[in-house]
Amino acid sequence: MVDKTKKEFRKRDIFYLVPLWLLSLIAPDPYLYHKKEFKKKDLFYLGAICLAPLIWSDTHFHHLMVLAGIYAILALGLSLFMGYAGQISLGHAAFFGIGAYTTAILTTRYAFSTFPAFLASAVSAAVIAYFIGRPILKLKGYFLALATLGFGEIFLVIIRESTDLTGGVIGIFGIPWFSVMGFSFDTYLKQYYLTWGVLIGLFIFSKNLVRSKVGRALLAVAASEDAASSVGINVPRIKLEVFVLGAAFAGLAGSLFSCVMSTANPEAFSLGLTVLIVMMVILGGMGNLYGPIAGAILLTWLTDILSRYQEYSLPIYGVILILLLIFFPDGIGTRLNVRVIYLIGYWAKKKKRDEGKL
Amino acid sequence: MPLLSIEEITKEYDGIRALDRVSLKVKRGSIKGLIGPNGAGKSTLFHLISGVEKPGSGKIYFREIDITSMESHEISALGIGRTFQTLQVWGNMTVVENIMAGMNRRLKGSLLSYGLWLPWIRRSEKEALKEAKEILDSLGLLGKWESIASQLPYGKQKLLELGRTLAMKPELLLLDEPASGLTLTEMRQLSERILQIRQEGVTIFIVEHHMGMVMEIADEIAVLHNGELIAEGTPDAVRRNPQVIEAYLKGKKADA
Repeated sequence: MVDKTKKEFRKRDIFYLVPLWLLSLIAPDPYLYHKKEFKKKDLFYLGAICLAPLIWSDTHFHHLMVLAGIYAILALGLSLFMGYAGQISLGHAAFFGIGAYTTAILTTRYAFSTFPAFLASAVSAAVIAYFIGRPILKLKGYFLALATLGFGEIFLVIIRESTDLTGGVIGIFGIPWFSVMGFSFDTYLKQYYLTWGVLIGLFIFSKNLVRSKVGRALLAVAASEDAASSVGINVPRIKLEVFVLGAAFAGLAGSLFSCVMSTANPEAFSLGLTVLIVMMVILGGMGNLYGPIAGAILLTWLTDILSRYQEYSLPIYGVILILLLIFFPDGIGTRLNVRVIYLIGYWAKKKKRDEGKL
Repeated sequence: MPLLSIEEITKEYDGIRALDRVSLKVKRGSIKGLIGPNGAGKSTLFHLISGVEKPGSGKIYFREIDITSMESHEISALGIGRTFQTLQVWGNMTVVENIMAGMNRRLKGSLLSYGLWLPWIRRSEKEALKEAKEILDSLGLLGKWESIASQLPYGKQKLLELGRTLAMKPELLLLDEPASGLTLTEMRQLSERILQIRQEGVTIFIVEHHMGMVMEIADEIAVLHNGELIAEGTPDAVRRNPQVIEAYLKGKKADA
């Protein structure tokens, strides 16, 4: 009798593990850091990215995915800084804004074509990040978070107040479509391939960093700065490098954003955006590069779907975020929480137990 | 000329003298032991040498270069490797990555060249992996090369920390209580390994609580007590030194 119930237990446990196992097949595991090389799985993802807009060929979907791609570029850069180097930045939206405004100003006032403006956006964001980062990155933890937060707010004030250059609160209009060598990305479909192309390029770049000396140095800094400098890793420098790199990514994303939206105004780069990106990184999963992309797609879609429910959208949004964090504490780019799976099993069994069947 | 020479080092914490005008020399190719009761200032001295902290006064020379006011990573880049009293293995990486991160100062190339995965980067990464595996093999950790470092048992993690420090090919190796928390067999293996590392031409400076082990392997021993150097010499001479005996007996009583 006792043996029989035990057997049932085991069978059920295996049953609960099936979805976990299925998920682990498609989701990269953050705990296996050695699985950093490119895999066949990546080709599958690449194919899915190329085919998706052709299968779902409505413009709304394309537009959403363009936005998701832009946010993913932002989140990717932030994830190198947060997920790998273990630092906190709450001023990332400012670099996005710097990129967007650089492109906006160069194209509308100085008649630059978009591609040089695109590159200039990355450079300007990186240069500003360098000068901001040098003093700020001496801070740690909460202090770093506050300092970056302050930087983001100062950026907004400057943008709002310098009306001559940035158009103040109204912003800049009429930014042209992105174009390279006379080829204009004038439909959402073309923009989809543009943003996701840039994203894939930056993803490969980041992945190369992560699987090499740079990634190891970043993880070492995150785990123990003393130990990192004891093997000759220049801790302040590597932090600064990855901060500047993240800012350059944000600058590129901002440039694409202003071309897609054809406007740049300060509201788009407020603290709300920073929080959104940080959520993308955390929800997607820290310490792996697929996570921020997954997080960006998920949150962009979620905001779009919930916007139909108007005043209820924010509470629902909050509840969904909390549930996601309970079920995927390491991010959706990773596995379901094993404990939660067992909890479900416990509830499922509870009814029977109450009825005295177990 | 000694490899490391410490001259009249003083360090104070809020008015308390942790080190009082300590002068020490470590000869090239030797094993030097540093002993003393709890709170004698041994770890402080190590922190000063490796640049984690800065001394109040005095000078430290390594290969006749003044390293007193250098940053920690510059000092290690010169060739001083160290382990920590409280274990500092990077638990967010695999065992082999820990070793490869230890090679950091020998791997050249900018952020950009790594991101673009240029041909010579690919080659040097491959070589680094091969060398890391050789180091793991010599430590007997090769079987675990893909496990997460924090999942290894304590003794193996200590070994890994040592391996990581060796991977940077140091000239001087500072070992801060390498035997603490090890079993007797592990300790014996460690002694053998330290002697073997010296054979390969690395100078070793070792802080240890475990008297027996230091006495066995060190060529020379220095004794710190309340921040002052009270004795220096061969293990036998130090063992017979009345001041040392007194200091240790007092320490024992205080502990009890």
